[in-house]
Amino acid sequence: MMGKYEAVLPADRQYADNHHWLKPEGDRYRVGFTAYAVRLLQDIYFLDWSIDPDTPVRKKQEVGEVETSKAVASLYAPVDGRILTFNDALMNDPSLINTDNYEAGWLYEIESSAPMMSVQDYVAHLNATWDATQKTLKGQYNEAE
Amino acid sequence: MAGRKLSVVIAQAPGKNPNKRQLEEEIAAQLLIENVADVSLVPHLNDLASDDSGALWLRGLGGDVVVLAWLYPRATHWILDRMGIKGREGTVLLRSAEEDEEEEAEPEAPSPDAIGALNVPNRSVYAIDLRIEAKPEVFLSEIRRIVREATVETVTLDFFGLSNGNGSAAHHAPPATAEASKTDLTGTSKRRWYPVIDYSRCTNCMECIDFCLFGVYGLDDHDRILVEQQDNCKKGCPACSRVCPANAIIFPEHKTPGIAGAPVSGVSDFKIDLSKLFGAPSALELAVMERDTELVADGRSAVGMTVGIPKRQTNLGEKPRDALDDLIDGLDAM
Repeated sequence: MMGKYEAVLPADRQYADNHHWLKPEGDRYRVGFTAYAVRLLQDIYFLDWSIDPDTPVRKKQEVGEVETSKAVASLYAPVDGRILTFNDALMNDPSLINTDNYEAGWLYEIESSAPMMSVQDYVAHLNATWDATQKTLKGQYNEAE
Repeated sequence: MAGRKLSVVIAQAPGKNPNKRQLEEEIAAQLLIENVADVSLVPHLNDLASDDSGALWLRGLGGDVVVLAWLYPRATHWILDRMGIKGREGTVLLRSAEEDEEEEAEPEAPSPDAIGALNVPNRSVYAIDLRIEAKPEVFLSEIRRIVREATVETVTLDFFGLSNGNGSAAHHAPPATAEASKTDLTGTSKRRWYPVIDYSRCTNCMECIDFCLFGVYGLDDHDRILVEQQDNCKKGCPACSRVCPANAIIFPEHKTPGIAGAPVSGVSDFKIDLSKLFGAPSALELAVMERDTELVADGRSAVGMTVGIPKRQTNLGEKPRDALDDLIDGLDAM
């Protein structure tokens, strides 16, 4: 039901289960949102990081937050590692995430040797969790009403 | 009923913060000077045992009451309800600067599925949060406004004979004193930790009684959920509040505003929280962790997800199509 992943999920990089991509850049990975995440978030109004550059992080550690036209969300590290730098361009204009989420709209760079998902793994993960995600979203949306 | 005085109760902050104490004293002193209300001081509401002299005094107050406390107004209202100091929620116009910046929130209407409070007498209880301002003047002007409102309302009701009491409604005689009085019932009370139920939200779904393994909850004679053994509750643990589908369980002393009884307001009110999508632990995961911690601390075994897990969401009725349906279908089409 969610076909055509290849069109929106580049195969030149790896993925994490919390809908981030990680693209190798020398000794580090550049990290950003997948199209799936951006589609759910929609227009990004505000992005803030709660940690400083060059900080070690654990997977699932809170690192920042985002506010969009549809949603608010805390952001969590996709893997264990060390966040080296944040994308300064986004501080002035977070909409780059919407316009170019796989290139100019990258979030930060991280140093990590943790296992990651291939694009196929991520697709499988999306399929496996889609029902649960849908239920979660829907449940929360109803509760808030 | 001319000459009837409003009762103003100041519930003191726990501890000895001189700034808070000074604010409390200044408000009390000024009200006495202006002679607009009877003033009493009681200990911090959350810590007040129901047989404390302050609680007995509160129960004896007739007519409209303004209660200033260092708590969210919802917490104040439902702690008082729990202690048998009942009344309609009086409308307080005073808001924190933060709330002012946000969209003006309409007073929250009771949930249609809520079971409501029982035996609410025909009087108003105005709960005011003392944390929203450091200077007494804003509180004083709000109290003066309530005095005017309460006076007008009383006259109107009497004139038209509109006593909409529901059988058990207690219409208390006004205090006989013409002079404003001040009563000090403060003493030392031990810190307490327990949930209070907001019956304007509670649907009697019983998730809390299933989830809590410490015997805090029980049922009353009408099979309504009740915080039966307050002091069985584990200090710091708000797990039942997290599993409550109606957000009806308040821990007045919890550091998270939503759990401590903050109004549902601001961004989170109309935006979806997608933190979970990016790896946040769910409320249920947190609740299970908190409960396991307390079980282990009691020398019992952790039960994880095996006991009392909420059954909500499984029988959610079909709702009309909304923006989220469109969003999900949009994702499907990707």
